[in-house]
Amino acid sequence: MTSRLPSLPAWVVVAGAAVLAAAVTLLADMGLLAPAAAALGVALAFAVTALLSRPATEDAGTRVHRFVVVPAALVLSVLAGVVVGGVLDWWFVEPAAYAMGAVVGAVAGFLLHRRLGTQLALAFGAVAAAGVLALAATSLVLAISGVAPLHAFGQMLEFGLQPNSLVIVVNSATTLYLSGVAVAIGFKMKLFNIGVDGQYRLAALLAAAVGGAWVLPPVVHQVVVILVAVAVGGFWAGIAGYLKVARGVSEVISTIMLNAVATGITAYLLNTDRLAVQISTNNIGTHPIPESGWVPGIPAGFMGSDRDIYGLVLLAVAVGVGYWLMLNRTRFGFDLRATGQSPTAALASGVNIRRMVLLSMVLSGMVAGLVGIPQLLGQSHYYALDFPAGLGFTGIAIALLGRNHPAGIAFAALFWAFLDQSAQILDFEGIPKEIAVVTQATIVLTVVVVYEVVHRWGLRYQQQQVGRELAREGAEAR
Amino acid sequence: MSGAPPDGGEAPPAVQLRGITKRFPGVVANHDIDITVAPGTVHAIVGENGAGKSTLMKTLYGMHRPDEGTIAVNGEPVRLNSPSDAIAHGIGMVHQHFMLADNLTVLENVVLGAEKQAGIGRAARARITALSEQYGLGVEPDRLMEELGVGQRQRVEILKVLYRGARIVILDEPTAVLVPQEVDELFDNLRELKREGLTVIFISHKLDEVLSVADTITVIRRGTTVATVDPATTTARELATLMVGGELPVPELRESTVTDRPMLTVRGLSVREPGGRRVVDDVTLTIRQGEIVGIAGVEGNGQSELIEAVMGMRPVESGTVELDGADITGRPTLAIREAGVGYVPEDRHRHGVLLESPLWENRILGHQGRPPNARGPWIDRKGARADTERIVAEYDVRTPGIDVIADALSGGNQQKLIVGREMSGRPKVLVAAHPTRGVDVGAQAAIWGHLRRARREGLAVLLVSADLDELIGMSDTLHVILRGRLVAQADPMTVTPEQLGSAMTGAGLEGAPGAAEGEDGA
Repeated sequence: MTSRLPSLPAWVVVAGAAVLAAAVTLLADMGLLAPAAAALGVALAFAVTALLSRPATEDAGTRVHRFVVVPAALVLSVLAGVVVGGVLDWWFVEPAAYAMGAVVGAVAGFLLHRRLGTQLALAFGAVAAAGVLALAATSLVLAISGVAPLHAFGQMLEFGLQPNSLVIVVNSATTLYLSGVAVAIGFKMKLFNIGVDGQYRLAALLAAAVGGAWVLPPVVHQVVVILVAVAVGGFWAGIAGYLKVARGVSEVISTIMLNAVATGITAYLLNTDRLAVQISTNNIGTHPIPESGWVPGIPAGFMGSDRDIYGLVLLAVAVGVGYWLMLNRTRFGFDLRATGQSPTAALASGVNIRRMVLLSMVLSGMVAGLVGIPQLLGQSHYYALDFPAGLGFTGIAIALLGRNHPAGIAFAALFWAFLDQSAQILDFEGIPKEIAVVTQATIVLTVVVVYEVVHRWGLRYQQQQVGRELAREGAEAR
Repeated sequence: MSGAPPDGGEAPPAVQLRGITKRFPGVVANHDIDITVAPGTVHAIVGENGAGKSTLMKTLYGMHRPDEGTIAVNGEPVRLNSPSDAIAHGIGMVHQHFMLADNLTVLENVVLGAEKQAGIGRAARARITALSEQYGLGVEPDRLMEELGVGQRQRVEILKVLYRGARIVILDEPTAVLVPQEVDELFDNLRELKREGLTVIFISHKLDEVLSVADTITVIRRGTTVATVDPATTTARELATLMVGGELPVPELRESTVTDRPMLTVRGLSVREPGGRRVVDDVTLTIRQGEIVGIAGVEGNGQSELIEAVMGMRPVESGTVELDGADITGRPTLAIREAGVGYVPEDRHRHGVLLESPLWENRILGHQGRPPNARGPWIDRKGARADTERIVAEYDVRTPGIDVIADALSGGNQQKLIVGREMSGRPKVLVAAHPTRGVDVGAQAAIWGHLRRARREGLAVLLVSADLDELIGMSDTLHVILRGRLVAQADPMTVTPEQLGSAMTGAGLEGAPGAAEGEDGA
């Protein structure tokens, strides 16, 4: 369909699409809501891009490309445009913000159309399918309990997008992200670290106790607290790793047991005779960390919120980047993935499996140790009875949802936190907010199933693709 | 078409395939297949690996539907949507890889999944015994599966199929796992089945065997039937020409390149299984520069364990392994590999590749500590990718690119990639287990060529194979391994596959010159 048009230089197409997107957005903004206008602009720009440029991927022009990759690229670029527009809206007037968003969306559309691979598009398709299924299941539950689903979703969306809600979403996503990465490191090795929960609680308690015990110079203080948390988390997970390597104990069993042990130890230590002091009449906690050990928040005034974003959101970003680097760029990461994919092949290639099991378990625990730290250093400053628990288990869901990919986990964590936060409004509406749990549960289940289906289909598709290509080459050679 | 028999009053053909075409997107696996199998005969289907035999048999066994064409069983057109449909029409299949549970008895294995036929008790045992006697299978219902040898297991698989009421038995490469003596026993069983009026469809690429047992032979090449011949009036050479459309490659070494510099010396090596049994027992052998040393043995006699011990994948109980004068006994696998040992593992999918990783990552596997794949703790993506391109070009790996996953390639191309990978970095020793197992004829010839070239350049090769022709043709020295011991040494110039086969089963190298393990006594 594109062949009859002369192929223009890429920059002409991009510039044209960007100008078109901005112009359409500005025009449509007069009659439509700004996000809708931006969406329209990006979609039109995408249509132009698709007509004027050819994708650079190998399967361009195939049916799969036309029906899976192109729509996925379209949806993603529209999303990118609207989200960027919404973010820019915090600083600029609405029409300008969304016009700029549309430009970003148009450029993203061009790049996605050119570069998006089938596998990735399929993964996005899988997420979308899972989202639709989960939404349908939730709607069904809502309808059965006599609530209009659209009304409930509308309320959630409106409340969840309020500036204060967004800050809370980012903050809890930070914590969930760390937990998800901790679990994912294990998953990459086919190790099931269920013990993230115990690891981070024990680590947070001991780190809080150490942080509250002394006044240290700033920076040093924070670093000490973080190192203690990392060390405790790594040690606690290392026990499970050692048991697996030395005694063949399944890490699933041992980490579950170690969770219980960690609960016992925290309960024992969190006592006014030992590490704890009276915080309020019915709460005890560790001695508060002096101000030298706090991590200042990032004021969110630009979004119109009076709350602070955890400063340690940057730590989560660093962990994500480090995880990606480790996995994709280092020998250790290669060995880790090889062992996860095929322990037998890894063994034959000279990977020391036992060492890898121990190391990856320790590494997973070290990241798990960080889970409580943003909250500890950024907000509560002590470990008390009301310190959030259960984040380790949520991390399992997040890692599954994010497919163990550093970026995927980030989206999963944000999504999860958004559902948690936006569901708070439902109580005021007389709707049980546990409805969000239904959505979370169904989406994890469907994502796992849909991913598996798509994964298998993708493998087969690639095999066929290779077969086709070789057949063509063979025919040319003849 | 009608179900009427083609010629007069004779019984209708047991199986008649007409114009079968099966396409996988982009590939036509089978096209215009026409086969007529007369009842009560052994009908062989031959073709090289990848010619489409397995696809065809999957069609016949209802594992997938053909895109075109018809199947008639006993003259009746049938639609086979699943293996249970096939079984209902009296078609049974014995797979190449046995599907038996080791911890169950023969009886339990046979009735598993067919409990409705005669229960699981006395009636079932009576029926198994009756079938076993009727067809001369000699199966004892109460033996534990793990006690049985390969040949006996195969008979249990056949019995399983008969128990389910099959009158047409498909055997997929049944001789691949057997030594020549066991093959003869199998063929006796097949003749027995034939005598009892059953129809046997026998898939193979071993021409001598096919010629000795089949009543009719259909040759498949590139997905279609090219000829149906009578074994009485054809020769192996003619069949081979039909199969590949040319000459079959022959494994052979030309001039000797053996030097007297020992590269790999194994002395008194013993390996014990975790359970306590000795699986490698006091093995001593030397491989010199430019020499290929072959190990012949029935599978499960310690050759895998020997290799794994040499590669450092298995703890050594006693004995030493020396590489070019340096002791590598008990060193970690990576250290042994980096000291200059290449390794072509026997099970490509389990040990050789990461199926779901791209080719260039597979290039790194096993070489993750060395240039061009790594710089310090970092993976050198550019270097690894460039070197993968080199291997793909030099070793003729047929692939559209180095970013496709290994699983998308055919077995032969995966193996060429592995061989190329293991030959890179100029290893001193190559440990090659079944290097041409399950690869097509072209890849087989290419791999033999690479081995010959590397040998000429001074590579020492330890070659384990189940293909006796390959062993005899490619080895400078040949050892026979039995129950973990090297029991005989044969001269590959003079030994025959039959002599080797009898030595492998413990009967000794009758009549073979240079028999008996005249070891250079360490």
